[in-house]
Amino acid sequence: MKTLMKTALLAATMLATAAGAARAEWPNDRPIQMIVAFAPGGSTDVMARAMEPYLEKRLGADIVIENRPGASGEIAYTALAKADPDGYTFSFINTPGFLSMQVQRELGYDPQDIKPIARIVDDPSAVVVPAGSEIQTLKDFVEAAKAAPGSVSFGTSGVGTDDHLAIILLGAQAGATFTHIPFSGAGETRTAILGSQITAGGLNVSEFGGNDTSGLRMVAHFGRERSAQLPDVPTAAEQGYEVFMTSERGIAAPRATPDDISAKFADAVKATLDDPEFQKQAEQLALPLAYLPGAEWEAQMPARLEEFRKIWAATPWVQ
Amino acid sequence: MQFLDLLMLGFSEAFTPTNLLFCFIGALLGTLIGVLPGIGPTATVAILLPITFFLPPLAALIMLSGIFYGAQYGGSTTAILVNLPGEASAVVTAIDGYQMARKGRAGAALAVAALGSFFAGTVATIALAVAGPTLSSFALSFGPAEYVALCIFGLLAATILAHGSVIKAIGMVCLGLLLGMVGIDVNSGSTRLTFGSTELYDGIEFVVIAVGLFGVAEIAVNLESKEQRGILQSTIGRLWPTKQEFKESWAAVLRGTGVGTILGVLPGGGATLSAFSAYSVEKKISRTPEKFGHGAIAGVAGPEAANNAGAQSSFIPLLTLGIPSNSIMAMMLGAMTIHGITPGPGVIQNQPELFWGLVASMWLGNAMLLVINLPLIGLWVRLLKVPYRLMYPAILMFCCIGVYSVSNRGFDVALVILFGVLGYVLRKAKCEPGPLLLGFVLGPLLETNLRRALLLSQGDPLVFVERPISGILLAVTAVMLLMLVLPSIRKSRKVAFEESEN
Repeated sequence: MKTLMKTALLAATMLATAAGAARAEWPNDRPIQMIVAFAPGGSTDVMARAMEPYLEKRLGADIVIENRPGASGEIAYTALAKADPDGYTFSFINTPGFLSMQVQRELGYDPQDIKPIARIVDDPSAVVVPAGSEIQTLKDFVEAAKAAPGSVSFGTSGVGTDDHLAIILLGAQAGATFTHIPFSGAGETRTAILGSQITAGGLNVSEFGGNDTSGLRMVAHFGRERSAQLPDVPTAAEQGYEVFMTSERGIAAPRATPDDISAKFADAVKATLDDPEFQKQAEQLALPLAYLPGAEWEAQMPARLEEFRKIWAATPWVQ
Repeated sequence: MQFLDLLMLGFSEAFTPTNLLFCFIGALLGTLIGVLPGIGPTATVAILLPITFFLPPLAALIMLSGIFYGAQYGGSTTAILVNLPGEASAVVTAIDGYQMARKGRAGAALAVAALGSFFAGTVATIALAVAGPTLSSFALSFGPAEYVALCIFGLLAATILAHGSVIKAIGMVCLGLLLGMVGIDVNSGSTRLTFGSTELYDGIEFVVIAVGLFGVAEIAVNLESKEQRGILQSTIGRLWPTKQEFKESWAAVLRGTGVGTILGVLPGGGATLSAFSAYSVEKKISRTPEKFGHGAIAGVAGPEAANNAGAQSSFIPLLTLGIPSNSIMAMMLGAMTIHGITPGPGVIQNQPELFWGLVASMWLGNAMLLVINLPLIGLWVRLLKVPYRLMYPAILMFCCIGVYSVSNRGFDVALVILFGVLGYVLRKAKCEPGPLLLGFVLGPLLETNLRRALLLSQGDPLVFVERPISGILLAVTAVMLLMLVLPSIRKSRKVAFEESEN
């Protein structure tokens, strides 16, 4: 019995020392886990996997991508908010979903527990019509809706998505009503526009440019300035409607993650985005790269959140 | 010749080493599970579905379809040699095939089955290649109203063509529809039937239902029955059919191919229905119907060609309209969705390499199956000796790991157990899970399109009858319903299924 106790004690001591000794300096202790809030094969997942080798090289660390899809990202964000802030858990976050969900429902986590590290992509929402449509400008689109309320339909990739919020904002500003037809993704919206099932539909600049565009025409997009991918397409503001809506993608960490680790990670993201080899890949994926440091990105969020709260108060998009 | 260009594109895709490898794996796995009774292609595809995540989309689809048509070949081997149809569609093959084997003509039966299947597979592949692009350009004019009519038609046809009681089948469809409603409502964004759990916000994972109802439940049912393994009675004999046998079978192969290709397209159709129909066609047409049941080679050739043709042509509605016609096609739809592909007319237009690659791989797969099956028959038969008690724990573990890996959630594994129990209870109650799965897949499609159609028409329900395609489909559905109620037809349906079960 005594020997057994001794052995157990010895084993426990050895285990403790081993554990202590094994705690290497960040990021070499264990693989960094990067959560993707969407299913494998989706656009966020593809982007994450394209970035993975570049980030690994810059950081000298192992990165493991983990898909935690569900509830438009809430499952992943909950996991992120509750993760240990030791610099080994990061997640991709997407706006406007990250912000709009704070407006539309009680969440299982506190959004303040999440700290944006870097923005990667800024992808404007847009109004897309069949190539043969009579609608040439955003004004035509608005006027058609005013002339026959309810007859002009607009397909989006779902309730509360950037397309949907954009059309609510446009409607509110122009005093027009559009019939909202939610689809469950850009692919379906695209088919419906092609078949002229709907008057127009919302496809982001990357969703439009990343595919065969025959049969489709982009009337205007809701970015702040013209996009590098589609320099001929005017912005909504140019056409007289001050509506801005983009879908952003970036990286975030638990709030209490040490600042030096966040800074190192943000630098690695920036270096990846500046890498010509990665840029070539990004072009193939039609990613509108737009790096922004985490602090600056976070500073933009309260204003957008406030805007969403106002829309919500006037026309709650979830009944 | 644009058609030839596209076919060349398909073959260049299918001939890449990865795709060839997965085509081979699929065909091999298909043969394997076709030979082994107790696990069918539906369960296998369900179990392998999560694994396909880690493959490129085309390779995944190639492998899964290989399993489906491979099982049609494998199933006939054991049906002929040991009177054990490894697969439902091979039940008819056993009737005359086993009799031939007892007369020492097993070799000829196997050769006719394999060659007939290959021929039918080739024809059905061509049909898919021709019908696909035609139908898909037509499908662009399919709006929400047309999809509603098509879904209703499909669901009803599936219940009529399902084995057993129609009432039970309709009940299963409704249960499937209900399960399909779980999650966030697409139109309003509010949650339904989630009981406050965020895990259910996106609805129940398709893989969970498929693995539970088909994988776990099938194993449970198999464990109940004592292991019954056939014993190879006779030698296989000369492989090549005699001149007389050849003469008796070629016309049957042609007819079976026709029957299978057409019936495979129908909702609820597919391999099994095609095989049964081809058998009755052969029996009716034959000048010597008394030979059937005693080793008539036409009774092997017709159904074998038909089941393979049916298996392949059931891809047509899935790839062109995005509507699965049976539970295996529902699984294929699941596989495509996992990879972010929305099945439908967009696939042929935007990802021609996917469609044509799959078509070309089917033909290659059929050629491979010919090689896998004929010379290796002895090996496959020996496989029957692997005891089930060694197989099922491995399969169950595979199920759990696969399901967990879809979303990295233990919650899904718990749900699988729940659906496994449900599947077992349903089987005991003689309710087929196939219509449930179709209801689950088609339900959300039906609902969103119904609401979309009404939104677009601004609330006018006449849109469903005013648009010609949807009007015609609804009329056909109404006629089907009427026929179902008429007593004389109910009787003949009952007789038809009883005949096929005996």
